[in-house]
Amino acid sequence: MATPLMQIDRVSKRFELSGGRTLTAVSDVSFSVEKGSICALLGPSGSGKSTILRMIAGLETLSSGAIRLKGQDIDGPGQDRGMVFQAYTSFDWLSVRKNVEFGMRINGLSARERRERAEHFIDLVGLSNFIDTYPSRLSGGMRQRVAIARTLANAPEVLLMDEPFGALDAETRWQMQELMIEVAGASGTTMVIVTHDIEEAIFLADKIEFLSSHPGRLREEITPDFKPAERIRNKEQLLELGGFAETERKIMRLMREEGRH
Amino acid sequence: MSSPKPNRRRRLLQVRTPVSPMQALISSIGIWVVFFGGWIFATSMGWVNPILVPSPAQVFRSIYLLFANDGFASDVLISVGRVLFAFALACLVAVPTGVAMGAFPAIDAVLAPFVSAWRYLPAPSFIPILLMWFGTGEEPKIALLFLGVIFFLITLIADHTKEVRKELIETAMTLGAGRSITVFQVMLPAVLPNILVAMRQMLAVVWTYLVIAEIVASTTGIGAMMMRARRFLHTDQIMGGIIVIGALGLIFDRLFAVLHRRLFPYLQDSR
Repeated sequence: MATPLMQIDRVSKRFELSGGRTLTAVSDVSFSVEKGSICALLGPSGSGKSTILRMIAGLETLSSGAIRLKGQDIDGPGQDRGMVFQAYTSFDWLSVRKNVEFGMRINGLSARERRERAEHFIDLVGLSNFIDTYPSRLSGGMRQRVAIARTLANAPEVLLMDEPFGALDAETRWQMQELMIEVAGASGTTMVIVTHDIEEAIFLADKIEFLSSHPGRLREEITPDFKPAERIRNKEQLLELGGFAETERKIMRLMREEGRH
Repeated sequence: MSSPKPNRRRRLLQVRTPVSPMQALISSIGIWVVFFGGWIFATSMGWVNPILVPSPAQVFRSIYLLFANDGFASDVLISVGRVLFAFALACLVAVPTGVAMGAFPAIDAVLAPFVSAWRYLPAPSFIPILLMWFGTGEEPKIALLFLGVIFFLITLIADHTKEVRKELIETAMTLGAGRSITVFQVMLPAVLPNILVAMRQMLAVVWTYLVIAEIVASTTGIGAMMMRARRFLHTDQIMGGIIVIGALGLIFDRLFAVLHRRLFPYLQDSR
């Protein structure tokens, strides 16, 4: 197998607390992410999954270890690692189109190229009818679509998502999950998604890194290989697959064990 | 124990229950009717000394006479000019300073202790020294108005800038933005509506200091006219001056409201 796109190599993160104490949020975590794959970081709260994602994004420094993207150590945030947050991050003073063009504009793409790419990705997330609308007039799910289009249009090597659908209602949530499968297929983008939703992780991910809590350690790597090679696009189909229930049970047991700590 | 009936009688004072538009209209007009009614009643019944408390009719007539015969318009223009000039100067300093403090903790660490200390020094206490430094021309007046608002304005703008959500800044950085793009293209537009609100609040304060400046040492402006009127016991003119200042304040406040709507259309009827 070729070298993976991204390697997380024995990464730890300690936070200095007041009174000279330290909190180890992430301890000695290693895994790799293959190009074009979707990787889920799953675990109970306190497992450091968001911290790991923020370190990949360059928004937190590493206490030890290394994160390499295409063999290069990452250093601070950059456009090669786009991030979608749980909280709304739309730039309210810009239209949907200008939001999506933002990254391309600051990175010096030509006006024509920006326009074409913005329209392509806005269409991909299904917001063509709202292209000249201000984000404040959109619903929560639609705003997350803007954030996803804005990040993808900036052509990152990897799309990082920190519980991106956590604030959405159940129906919008699975629509967004199905949208992500479609987007992954259309763009071939590598994705790392942090979630505590077991079903979401199984549905989206090619590989699930299950983390234990206090401190965050890699407990188990789960490959939901009961899924067909071609990603399934709708969620009912997932539930019908033999092997789904078993995988979900297994992860639930892991969650329950972690909860006892 | 009886359960609440569906159509319980509405009481006048109901916690956090909005009033109807009609009630709001009647209430807002009513309070002024009572105010002027009481004033007219007291003066026409001869309960008050007409030299100290002239009737509303006399006050409004003297406003007209001031404008028509006494060249009051030029006093008003001078006062407005002082307010706008000093306020523009204060904004020119406060906006970049406040945003820089809100964006860079290293700048905040230097300036915050300094600026917040000055806030507790009443600006009028500087009047004697301003008069010694600048004489009695325009400079001490502009300086007083400037000193009166600058430190509050800086603090307000710095606080609003600190409130720009972390996720917005981090989004910009993960899209490839450096420091200047993050500050000028994300933090500044995000905080701009709040900066305008802070300006609107502080402009009202400038008017307060204007009157102090013009009463203490001035031969021109609305405040100076009021002090002249005092010498000749023209209470009606003094009250006229108060009303004109109030009206000007109200006009500027409305202008700011219109400006806010025009500049930030995306804040209207959002979900």
